[in-house]
Amino acid sequence: MKFWQKICLFSILTFIIIFNAASIMVIERNHSKMLQQEITNTLSANMSINSSVNAVVPILRIYDSIDYEKTVLTNIANQFVRRNSDQGSYLEIADDKDKTVFSNLDFAMPSEREERNKLAPGEIKYILRDIGERTLLFTANVTDINHKSYVFSYIKDVTPLYAERMDQYTFFVQMDVVACLIYIIVMFFISKGLTKPIETMVRSAKEIAQGDFSERVHLKSRDEIGVLATNFNEMAAVVEDKIIELERNNGEKQRFINNITHELKTPLTSIIGYANYMRSTKYDEATFLEGLNVIYSEGKRLESLATKLMDLILLKDHQFQMKKGNLKDVVTELEPSLKQIVASKGIQLEMDCQDCRLPLEKDLIKIVIFNLIDNAVKASSEEGKVMIRTLDQRGSCILEVADEGSGISQEHIDKIFEPFYMADKARTRNNNGAGLGLSICRSIADIHHAEIEVDSEVGVGTTIRIVFPPCREGSEDAP
Amino acid sequence: MKKRILIVEDDIHISNIIKMNLTLVGYETEQVYDGMEALDRIKGGKFDLILLDVMIPRMDGFELMEKIRPMQIPVIFLTAKNAVFDKVIGLKLGADDYMVKPFEAIELLARMETVLRRYGKEETIMSFQDINVYIDKREVTVREEVVELTPKEYELLLVLLKNKNIALSREQFIEKVWGGDFYGETRTVDMHIKSLRKKLNLQDHIKTIYKIGYRLED
Repeated sequence: MKFWQKICLFSILTFIIIFNAASIMVIERNHSKMLQQEITNTLSANMSINSSVNAVVPILRIYDSIDYEKTVLTNIANQFVRRNSDQGSYLEIADDKDKTVFSNLDFAMPSEREERNKLAPGEIKYILRDIGERTLLFTANVTDINHKSYVFSYIKDVTPLYAERMDQYTFFVQMDVVACLIYIIVMFFISKGLTKPIETMVRSAKEIAQGDFSERVHLKSRDEIGVLATNFNEMAAVVEDKIIELERNNGEKQRFINNITHELKTPLTSIIGYANYMRSTKYDEATFLEGLNVIYSEGKRLESLATKLMDLILLKDHQFQMKKGNLKDVVTELEPSLKQIVASKGIQLEMDCQDCRLPLEKDLIKIVIFNLIDNAVKASSEEGKVMIRTLDQRGSCILEVADEGSGISQEHIDKIFEPFYMADKARTRNNNGAGLGLSICRSIADIHHAEIEVDSEVGVGTTIRIVFPPCREGSEDAP
Repeated sequence: MKKRILIVEDDIHISNIIKMNLTLVGYETEQVYDGMEALDRIKGGKFDLILLDVMIPRMDGFELMEKIRPMQIPVIFLTAKNAVFDKVIGLKLGADDYMVKPFEAIELLARMETVLRRYGKEETIMSFQDINVYIDKREVTVREEVVELTPKEYELLLVLLKNKNIALSREQFIEKVWGGDFYGETRTVDMHIKSLRKKLNLQDHIKTIYKIGYRLED
């Protein structure tokens, strides 16, 4: 059953029960009050007969004649009947032998009359009895006259009271039907209206469940459902962000794998192709040498790719211990091997190093310097110049490598840090490059919380600057 | 007439090795190294088949494929990507086949041949020295004289001719002539080679290559 149906049904049931119970109680109370009133009236009427009879009792004692008694009693009765001449009042006087002295009854007196049993003098008893279609109130009292007891029965027809009650019930049933109908209609709209926002949210939740994470609930109410909707939207936003992030990560990973596959398969294709060609064709020295050269250089390329991939993987999964060090010392330590690299291409290396003390991982910084110098050398033409500088700028250390080489065009600059990105594929390949050097540099910079800045102009040269975060004075004194 | 093949491949070594293999079996080749260059050449010249690498600079293989599709030139994609999705894209774009790197030269040659046959560009006569093979008639002549060959000998001869100057292993012969479900011994190949040499006077041209197999040499 739906929520709005539940609200509707339960409130209608409650309403019907309470409304009916209350109405019945009102009617019944009204009825019993009126009945009580009637009984009181009837009893007092009976008492008045009783008192009129008691008034004449002394006289009757003097005469002590049954006939006279009867005549007097009949006279009193007639007087009384005349006084209470309204419809439905009856009087009966009977003596102790149950002989009727006076009666104006228009119905047969029931044989069993328990209100008359064990009546003490002066006591009045009453009972309600259904005779035919009428309801009658019987009252009885007894009076001793000259050692004889006379029973005075005053009977009042109370049928109109019951008819009145029936009438009220009839009216109540009609009113009940109308009230319930109106209530049902009103409740239907109210419960529908109250639960409408819930349905809206259910729809949105379904949309989201089906994968549309951009779906939001549009509710403006300020009640609990409004609060729920706001929280729901916040949740959806968080989920959406997470999903987007996951998708992006996934895409990045997929690209990385695709690139690795490509970079592995390309040299393998050449190696396998040449090796197979050489083993299955007739020996020819020139082709043979060319083939061996390709196999060697492509093998070297695979080797360099493997090394760099290992570096990248290591950088991603490793925790590094930073130690206080001087950038200048690291560069100085590398000087001989750097000179060797540049010398092989006839390039000049300029060094301009200031003391730069900062927490660093020496081996990683060496990898960065090697990669940057390597890139600079590859970009430079022969007789070019490569500069390496370390400087301390207001507490933040900078490592800078500059060349006067071919430069990087603007379209490539944003992408050069992506793994496997090569601005000039042919040149990179010829130098056994895999497009991983700058990715590795960036990973290492990230480990040091450093920023990498690139200044480059085509034909003028490239400057790559690694800006380390300023280190706190306190750590300056640390051992 | 020699078939003209355009090799679109940015890796110069791979491009060269493909060219060398195709030249061996008698194709005429042209090499280009990026998408734009390829488009220019395709518009300019007439090619019987294009070998197209997917990851090439300036315009990738899929983009190029879309541009040249109306020209109805057979295309075989060469790519390092193994993903099924890429294969589907390639084939949907109208490529005729798909080679995943690294590939074997004879595999490439076989697929090229299949594609060319589908386009009705295959040879009807194959010749070697004084031997002529009339493929539609299934007839072999030596110096204009018909020589009777068993069906397997005939198939073996075709494989040798199509992979001229390339050594094939006994296993490769079995796969191509007897089919992949042949479980006989590699000796069977030796027997058939022996009888081909005898029937067609090819003793000097079908060379036994140590540790590999056999090669038909000019």
